[in-house]
Amino acid sequence: MDSPAANAAFAKQIGITFPLLSDMNHKMLTTYGILKTYDVQGDGYQWALRANIVIDKDGIIQHIEGGDSAVDPNTAVAICTDLHKKQSAQ
Amino acid sequence: MKRFLAAVLLFAMTLVLTPAPAQSQKKEEVAKMTLKVGDKAPDFTLLSDKWKTIKLSDYHGKKNVFLAVYVLAFTGG
Repeated sequence: MDSPAANAAFAKQIGITFPLLSDMNHKMLTTYGILKTYDVQGDGYQWALRANIVIDKDGIIQHIEGGDSAVDPNTAVAICTDLHKKQSAQ
Repeated sequence: MKRFLAAVLLFAMTLVLTPAPAQSQKKEEVAKMTLKVGDKAPDFTLLSDKWKTIKLSDYHGKKNVFLAVYVLAFTGG
């Protein structure tokens, strides 16, 4: 699991300007139900799923997907764009 | 104006992982994504790459948030 220090090195390396967050104790992942248990030689290990989640200004989930479909961010990006348009129109 | 906060959670795991409960050791268990569209997003507090505490609720009423969870995608653990 990446520490804030590892994330900082990566952010610098590729010029990321948004926050890279670390969930070192799995608290957020557990709350959001995106931990998956894998069997590794008889032992279970928990890794996070790939996931995309869009949350609007009011704190309401507008989009949530996990697993293979979340590898492609286009659906989530389209939902962000729609949300932005709706909010701009208001 | 930047309307969206894009936050990426990096969960590049090492082999030091949380052992799962005994009953799930036999097979892969699909995570139960219990949250759905329309639900209130549970608040969380996480550390950013700048060692700053980021709370979801800090953006309430200010920005939309795009959370992307990446596992082993960038840093190689």
